[in-house]
Amino acid sequence: MPRLTVADSDVEVLLKPGETILGGLHRAGYAARTGCLRGGCGVCKVEVTQGSVTYAETVAETVLTPEERTSGICLICRAVPQEDTVIAPRPEFKLRCVAPFLAALARK
Amino acid sequence: MSDVLRMGYVHARVTDLARAKDHYANTLGLYPTLEEDGKLYFKGWDEWDHHSVVLEEGGVGAVKFGFKVWGADALDGIEKRAQQFGDCTVTRMSAGDNREVSDGVRVHLPCIDHTFEFYHSMTEVGLEVGTHNPDAFPRHLVGVGAPMLDHALLMGEDIDTAARFFMEVTDFYTTERAQTDLSDEHQTIAYWLSASQKVHDIALLRGENGKLHHFAFQMRDWNDILHAADLFSMDDVPIDVGPTRHGITRGETIYFFDPAGNRNETFAGGYTSYRDRPTIIWTADQLAKGIFYHARELKESFTSVYT
Repeated sequence: MPRLTVADSDVEVLLKPGETILGGLHRAGYAARTGCLRGGCGVCKVEVTQGSVTYAETVAETVLTPEERTSGICLICRAVPQEDTVIAPRPEFKLRCVAPFLAALARK
Repeated sequence: MSDVLRMGYVHARVTDLARAKDHYANTLGLYPTLEEDGKLYFKGWDEWDHHSVVLEEGGVGAVKFGFKVWGADALDGIEKRAQQFGDCTVTRMSAGDNREVSDGVRVHLPCIDHTFEFYHSMTEVGLEVGTHNPDAFPRHLVGVGAPMLDHALLMGEDIDTAARFFMEVTDFYTTERAQTDLSDEHQTIAYWLSASQKVHDIALLRGENGKLHHFAFQMRDWNDILHAADLFSMDDVPIDVGPTRHGITRGETIYFFDPAGNRNETFAGGYTSYRDRPTIIWTADQLAKGIFYHARELKESFTSVYT
């Protein structure tokens, strides 16, 4: 199972097969800034600094350009890590713990 | 009076036609009327023309919007006034340029980078309840069972020019307006424009050119809005906002996203408008109450997410 790590935080989530970055964060009690949750608006872009992601759904090139894909930008609502992956969100990502009990469970 | 009857169709782009079909047919309950050349055509049960939503595969966002006018003669006036208005590209379209749609006039407004088509007829396929002694609704509606298309909210940089186009060329009137303040130097943030007695047929929001904020379906009442929200949870449709009420238009609403990320709305209520009704003004300091009458707080996704 790929391990998702958020840089400069203590957030680590073991992802389930096929789980998106956002799905893993939600399951671990975290929320972040998101938009349409359908890969159509581009609001949830973050940089992947280690690892790699794929997409189970089509993402429009107008939303995530080929250059962005190459440079490691992903949409967390749709991106599925293929290996241990580190994301380095910018401040506007607004990662926050919304369910401490889920976060505690995820850390076990 | 405006020659425009209503917003008759929306053409939108979707990333995956099969998923879009599932959403619009099985969740929203629109009736598929045609599938051809990578395009899906739908109508609501209370619509009689061939389609009101057309989806094409590839990308996201809006392609164009169609307004049905009363009679072919109305096109000449719209064409002439659009040419006089300037600041827009005006072309004639032939019958069949759009499947099942008559000839018409196509206008591109560069000030907001959106395209509008005015047409006078479309192949009539009939109300789902028929016209002879009809029942109140179809017995076997699917999902939300959205009756008909209602309006769209488009974004653009110069909405002042676009609003002037709709008022001068197609004789819409402003039902409501959001503006920075009440001073003479105010800037308009958004316009709600009507061609009819609906509280809006189109709305314009200052923002990025060519972007779609949402298109909306007309629901009967608040009960149907709540029922729709329940169905969105069942079908795992992301809800952006609601169910709640708008201060602006007094409408009852849910905003949600189609599988490509285009925002849809189910809209009910709102008051009956008249051409001589005073224009309602919302100021920026009360905009949150205007948009979400109960929460009275702007939601980041609602103001920053569009396709």
